[in-house]
Amino acid sequence: MKISEFAFLTVIFVAFSTIDLKVNAFLFDYLIISNFTYLFLCYLSFRNPQKINSFFGAYIGLMIDLHQNIFFGLHASLFTLTILIINYNYFRLRMFSSLQITIAFSFFVGFFVGFKSILLATMNFQYLVVFLSFFFAFISYLLIPSIGKFLIQKTNI
Amino acid sequence: MARLPDKSSRFILISVFVFCSSFLFLDFRFNTFKPIQDFYNSSSIFIKVFSKQVIFSPIYNSASSLVNSRSIKEENEKLKAELNYQLIKNYIVSNKSIINKNIFFGEVDIKKINSLLIPSKVVSFDVNQYFCCDKHRIFLMPEIEDNVNSFKVLINSEGIIGQTVKINKNLFEAILLSDKDHIIPIQDENNFYCEAKGLGVPKKIFCDIDLTLGANSFEENQRFLTSGLGGVFPKGVEIGNISEIKELSNREVRIIIELIADPLSSNFFGVLK
Repeated sequence: MKISEFAFLTVIFVAFSTIDLKVNAFLFDYLIISNFTYLFLCYLSFRNPQKINSFFGAYIGLMIDLHQNIFFGLHASLFTLTILIINYNYFRLRMFSSLQITIAFSFFVGFFVGFKSILLATMNFQYLVVFLSFFFAFISYLLIPSIGKFLIQKTNI
Repeated sequence: MARLPDKSSRFILISVFVFCSSFLFLDFRFNTFKPIQDFYNSSSIFIKVFSKQVIFSPIYNSASSLVNSRSIKEENEKLKAELNYQLIKNYIVSNKSIINKNIFFGEVDIKKINSLLIPSKVVSFDVNQYFCCDKHRIFLMPEIEDNVNSFKVLINSEGIIGQTVKINKNLFEAILLSDKDHIIPIQDENNFYCEAKGLGVPKKIFCDIDLTLGANSFEENQRFLTSGLGGVFPKGVEIGNISEIKELSNREVRIIIELIADPLSSNFFGVLK
């Protein structure tokens, strides 16, 4: 991956992280956590697993951990784990329809939200948040491929 | 074994994951990367404040001076800051016990409020994290040139908000009472003592009480005060009222206390020296 692409993706991911923070401030009352950043990573990793490898996931994850001021390594380990799972099941996932991919990634989001909540909101963990975030992720992922294609159209990713 | 689309070996993929997980474990368990996060936070806050003061404010001010509102705005901000400062001073005057340090030291003269109080302004407050998660922190900047050390009491015009953690000369972090990692020794009016932990929910702290240790009765809206036992917070300052009593088992109850002071009520705080 070129340095310019690397920097470009870093900016996009930090922007998505900021959007997530802003959106979450509104959605919190409805027990929903938005995860555009994570879904975008899933999309990119599935689109180009050669370039979006676990090193990239770790780097972006650590950047987001710093940006969101949460435990160092939380996003990094979850991102690398996701990339690992997508890599291991790449050919299986390729056979899935768009709807099945959306459901699969929404399940990933459910796990991601649950794991994050256990560490970040230990005292107030709610299954409803995981459940509702799954549905929100399902709806969000209907948009992510189009947004992703638009954002990276001039890169070789 | 499944084929991988990526050329990198399984060993590398898994070792990166293990490496990141060890980062998470170290930070979660021992706060190992706190200095890195502090450095990042102080740098980003510095850039934010610097760009606001040197780049955006002059542009905004020059634009607004076209309609002759600059001086009015400045005066308004000055008056707002002064009003907030006076409100905090009023709070101290009406709660004299707050400057009596703690039970181990003597009383402090109330006339010396100005020398006891460091006015501070919020520079960064992640409201999203405040509402969603357990970590309730504020980054503040002292308004006067004075060192704000760790373990100082942070107040606003409504009451005690939390305690300070020094980052550098111009910046400090405040852990709010509702932060999961924060503990404050409190007591009720019947001299029942407990250590209240932050619940990770805005304006809420809790005490887990072992009923086998003695007969205690609690009811909703019962007042709780600081006990001064930790050596950080002063004794006898009202902290909040019981909002909920939960029965954890036959022998244990959890009382949830709603705090009086709301950190979102103002951007202006005072640190007690």
